[in-house]
Amino acid sequence: MIIELKDINKTYPGAVPLHVLKDINLSIERGELVSIMGASGSGKSTLLNILGILDTYDSGSYHLDGTLIKNLSENRAAELRGRMIGFVFQSFNLINYKTALENVALPLFYQGVSRRKRNALAMEYLEKMGLGDRATHLPSEMSGGQKQRVAIARALVTKPSIILADEPTGALDSHTSKEVMQLFRDLNAEGMTIAIVTHDPNVGAQTNRIIRISDGRIVTGDSPA
Amino acid sequence: MLDFFREIAQILGHNKMRTFLTGIAVAWGIFMLIILLGMSRGVLNNFNSFQSAENASTVSIWPGYTEKAYKGYREGRAIQLKDTDLGTLAERNSNNVRTVLASKVIEGTQLSTSRDYVAESLFGVFPENQHTDRVEIVHGRFLNDSDLDGRRKVIVINRKTARVLFDREDVVGERVNAMGLSWLIIGVYDHRWEKSSYIPFTTAMMLSGSDGTVTNIALKIKNVSSAEDGDSLDSAVRATLASTHNFDSTDHNAVHIWNRFTQYLTGVKATSILELAVWIIGIFTMLSGIVGVSNIMFVSVRERTHEIGIRRAIGAKPRSILVQIVTESVVITTFFGYLGIVGGTLITSLIAKLTEQADFLKDPTVDISIAIKVTLVLIAAGALAGLFPAIKATKVKPVEALRDE
Repeated sequence: MIIELKDINKTYPGAVPLHVLKDINLSIERGELVSIMGASGSGKSTLLNILGILDTYDSGSYHLDGTLIKNLSENRAAELRGRMIGFVFQSFNLINYKTALENVALPLFYQGVSRRKRNALAMEYLEKMGLGDRATHLPSEMSGGQKQRVAIARALVTKPSIILADEPTGALDSHTSKEVMQLFRDLNAEGMTIAIVTHDPNVGAQTNRIIRISDGRIVTGDSPA
Repeated sequence: MLDFFREIAQILGHNKMRTFLTGIAVAWGIFMLIILLGMSRGVLNNFNSFQSAENASTVSIWPGYTEKAYKGYREGRAIQLKDTDLGTLAERNSNNVRTVLASKVIEGTQLSTSRDYVAESLFGVFPENQHTDRVEIVHGRFLNDSDLDGRRKVIVINRKTARVLFDREDVVGERVNAMGLSWLIIGVYDHRWEKSSYIPFTTAMMLSGSDGTVTNIALKIKNVSSAEDGDSLDSAVRATLASTHNFDSTDHNAVHIWNRFTQYLTGVKATSILELAVWIIGIFTMLSGIVGVSNIMFVSVRERTHEIGIRRAIGAKPRSILVQIVTESVVITTFFGYLGIVGGTLITSLIAKLTEQADFLKDPTVDISIAIKVTLVLIAAGALAGLFPAIKATKVKPVEALRDE
C-alpha cells in the first residue's frame, strides 16, 4: 500500500465547527490510477491536502509509503512532501519569472541537488513531456496545455511515490484535457501512482478506480478492487 | 551557496523597481551618516590639531588693570609682570609648576637687509615656545638654552619674511639688521598665522631696558588632571601675584589667567557631545531607511504569498523561506548601503580637498574602521529588517496560498 488512511477525522474549528471528514478509510496501491470525485464541499480538497501533507488531521492514522504521517514538524513535512509527493494543480502554479526549465528544477533546488545535475534532470523530464524546445520560455509564453505539462514535469522530477493532481484539466479545453489525461495514463502505464481529484465524470471515467466522497464520507471505492 | 545567491539575485532582479527604490532609501541614509561623521571628524581633527593634553598643560598670565581698590591703592592701576615673578611663581607653587616661561615682545621693529625691509615685532621667548606656540621649523633650528644663556643675537624668522628680505627661504647663516644690531639667522619657520621673529628671551630683556617688565608669563604645569585642580591652581597663581604686586586676590582683572588645560577639558567634553549627537542623528537617519526596507519586505511577502505557497508545496522548508527573505533584505541593505558609503566617502574627500585651507575643518573624512563598523551595522540592520517579514512568510499555509482565486 502506498497510501493507507484509517478512521481519519477532520474538523475545522469555529463558531459552528465543521466536520469535513468523517471516519475516512482509504487505501491506494502502488501503480494505481485513481480519481477522487465529489461535489464541491464534499471534503475532497481537504482529503487531498491531508494526502499531500499540506494539512493535518484530528484523529486516525495516515501511512504514506510506510511512513506514519502524524504530528510532523513543518520542516519534516516539507522534506517528506518534497521527496514523496508530486503536485499538479488546476492553475498550474508555475513561478512566472522563472523559465520552464527553472520551474521544473526548483524542487531539486530545495533538495540540495547541484545546479548542473538538476538542470540535466529537469531537461530530461521536459523532453519527456515533449517540451524540450520550450525550456527557456517563461510560463506567459506558453499555452495552458504546455504549462500543465511543465507542472507535471516538475511533479515528476523528484521521482515521487505518488502524484496528487487537483483538477488538473479544470483550466484546459476539452482537446487539451484529453491530451493531459492521456499523459497521466501513459505515466501510470510506466508504473507511477496517481490520484486525481476531479468533479468531471469524463476525467473519472479514464481512471481505473473512482473513489466517491460525499458529505465527508467515502461512498464507494475505498479500497482496490 | 552560489546557487542560493543566484536564486536571490533572480528574485530581486524580477522586482527591479521595488528593489531599486528600497535601496535608494538605505543608500541615502548611509550617505548622510557618512557625511555627518566625516564633518564631525573634521571639526574634531581640527580641535585635536590645536589641543593636546600635553600641549594644554600651560597657564598663561597677562597683565591687566585692577578694578578693586586695595591697601590704599586706587582701582584702575596697571599691573606689570616682572622677570622676578618667574622665580616667585615657581617657588610658591612648586607642586603644580614644572617650569616658568616668559616672553618679552618688542613691538614695531624694523628688520632689514640690503634688499628690503619689514616692520614687525620681535618675540623674546624660551626654547619651549617652539611647542607651545606650535612653531614649525622648515630650515635650521629654533632657539636653545645656550642662546639664552649667552644672550646671543640670533633670530628665527618666518618664511614669508625670508622671502621679502632675501627672495628665498633657506637663509640660515645669513644676517639681518634690527635695532641697530646685526642678527644671525639660525632658523626659518612656518606658522598658520604668526609672522613675528623669535629672539632669545634674555636678549630681549637686555635690549629693552632695565625695568624688568615682561609681556606675559607662561607656567608649564604638572599634577593637574581635573577642572577643579585647574581652578585651584588659577587661584593660587592669582594669590601669589596679588601678594607681590599688592592687589586684591579676588580681583580678576588685575592679571588675566588663561588656563589652557581647563579650556581643553571643556573642548574635549564639547567634542564628545558633538560626536555622540552625530551618531544619534546618523543612526536615526539610517533607521528610517531600515524601516523602509522592512516595510517593503512585508509588502513583498504579501505579494508573493502565492509564490511562497508554491515553493512550500514543492518541498521548501519554512527554514529555507526564512533564510531566503532575510538574505534578500541583507543583500539589499548591504549592496545599497555600500553605495552610500562609497558616495559619502567621495563627497567627504571632495570637501576635504576644498577646505584644505580652511580654519574650521581638518581632514573631514571617515576612516576605514568606521566604514567597516557601518557595514557590520548594515548587515545586522538588514537581517533585522528582514526578520519579521520572513517570520510572516514562514506562517504562509500552502493550502491557503494555493487556493484558486
